Amino acid sequence: MRETVLEILTEIRGDIDFDNETKLIDDSILASLDIVAIVSEFNDEFDVEISVEDLVPENFNSLDAMIKLIENAQE
Amino acid sequence: MAFTSLNFLLFAAITISLYYIIPVKYKWMVLLIASYAFYLISSPKTFVFVLATTVITFFGGLYIGNCNTKHKEYIDQHKEELSREEKKAAKAVSQRKKRKMVVLILILDFGVLAVLKYFRYYLQAAGLFDIGGLLIPLGISFYTFQSAAYIFDLYRNKIEPDRNIAKFGLFTAFFPQIIQGPISRYDQLAHQLYEGHRFNYTDLTHGAQLILWGFFKKLIIADRVAILCSEVFDNYTEYTGGAVFVALLFYTIQIYADFSGGIDIARGVAKCMGIDMTHNFMRPYFSHNLSEFWNRWHISLSHWCRDYIFYPVAMSKFFGKLGKDLRNVFGDRIGKLFPVIIAQYCTFLTIGLWHGAEFKYIAYGLYNGTVIVLGLLFEPLLKGAIEKLHINAESKAWKFFQIIRTFFIVVCGRIFPKAASFGVAISMFFSMFRLNHGTPFSETIMSLGLTNTDFLIILICCIIWFVVSLVQERDMRINGGDGNTGFRQMLDRRPLPIRWAILLIGFAFVLGIGVYGPGYDAAAFIYRGF
Repeated sequence: MRETVLEILTEIRGDIDFDNETKLIDDSILASLDIVAIVSEFNDEFDVEISVEDLVPENFNSLDAMIKLIENAQE
Repeated sequence: MAFTSLNFLLFAAITISLYYIIPVKYKWMVLLIASYAFYLISSPKTFVFVLATTVITFFGGLYIGNCNTKHKEYIDQHKEELSREEKKAAKAVSQRKKRKMVVLILILDFGVLAVLKYFRYYLQAAGLFDIGGLLIPLGISFYTFQSAAYIFDLYRNKIEPDRNIAKFGLFTAFFPQIIQGPISRYDQLAHQLYEGHRFNYTDLTHGAQLILWGFFKKLIIADRVAILCSEVFDNYTEYTGGAVFVALLFYTIQIYADFSGGIDIARGVAKCMGIDMTHNFMRPYFSHNLSEFWNRWHISLSHWCRDYIFYPVAMSKFFGKLGKDLRNVFGDRIGKLFPVIIAQYCTFLTIGLWHGAEFKYIAYGLYNGTVIVLGLLFEPLLKGAIEKLHINAESKAWKFFQIIRTFFIVVCGRIFPKAASFGVAISMFFSMFRLNHGTPFSETIMSLGLTNTDFLIILICCIIWFVVSLVQERDMRINGGDGNTGFRQMLDRRPLPIRWAILLIGFAFVLGIGVYGPGYDAAAFIYRGF
């Protein structure tokens, strides 16, 4: 899953080092447009329903946080 | 009671003193009494509306909170036996119940706002409702939006409901923020108001510095450039060409100095009591594009719109499905962008309407929305052009060009909210391109109410502001975060005599060249009117 998530993220924002960034939201690295694109791709790719309620910084600050979010949504 | 009045300073000083004298457990009561006293002194006839919003939001919030608790208990008790589908169904039932309450609260809270702020003239003209003698409640847009955020966050199960109505009353009406924000979030502010802080020298000095900085921007810069702006905008038929452009440029400085100055005073008063209110500005005129500008300007409103309008619309199933259908007609890119475009327009329409019901505000919102949407639509074309022209998009020169370009887009947009009406805005905009052949430009500028000394003071103070902003930007680049405390931290590292010297010089500066004096009433804050 990690590779697929990383591929999606890099496709949307190729200029970000997703492997090492841990403050993607706190430091305003990801914009709201990126978040919408990321969620839309996650929903399609992993057949999950990430909703507005999941849009908290903790879920999008890092690659690991996003993987955890998808795993939780799959439960 | 205006922030710039001596009465306010006395009021704030007494409140801060009492706050530190009273035992920790009761400190929040000092803030509540002070907040209600402030409102009763400033706008006694409309106090009942703040109370109504507080009561409605509090009890509605309790109901939503109880729905959350019951749902969680049910899921915890039946965790093992429920399938994924059954859990989803249970959640849907709980969501439906909550949604009904959210709608009811929003109708009541925003209904008051709509009747008193937006439809009052129409209702009165139609003879349906006589509210002519009723004032618009002080800070109604700010506390209504703040209360709505509380309800939305409860609906999304992000926070626990407040169970003490008196404390919630403080959250709604906290006096430094009631006049012009910022629009605080419950999870960021409430606990700070309730917990009580012991005396802290650093908080007090940082708070005092912020207040002084706010007065510097408001009294020396904003109220001085306001003289020129008012002259041109109030007599717009008499001016064309450069004079209109200079007035617009000065208004861009005025509104930033005025609004951010007011916010600094509000945040400074709160900081003196150890309370950190949310930031509302992050050097907006250093933005590289208009989207970034709205992430740096009136942040608490634009983030409110982002969280409660942009995301729900952009991520809604309805627009998502519509976007997918449109992919067959307009291609993948436009189809994917479609929900985002709709969400952008909804967001900026709200931002426009937030300022008022007149068409000029709607036009202001649409202008901003359209520039951003065009940027999105033509992004590949622009990237292609940059590559073909061999422009290094990472170079300092290109970044500088982007900042200047964004600044002028912002300057042009400012004409809508400032002009008397939409028609006046359009006529003034085109009058910028008509040259005045009669009087030389320099003579016209010198006849707009400001002296040579005023222009010199504005220039020097803007340079000081610019340098402080550069220090903050540098701090943001190096340490992350928003950089807003960068300059104060730099001051903290200086020896005590230097810090005090800077403070005293600043104080003397404000006292000496602030635009006030006998017979002069400091101009009301622009955003107080919203």
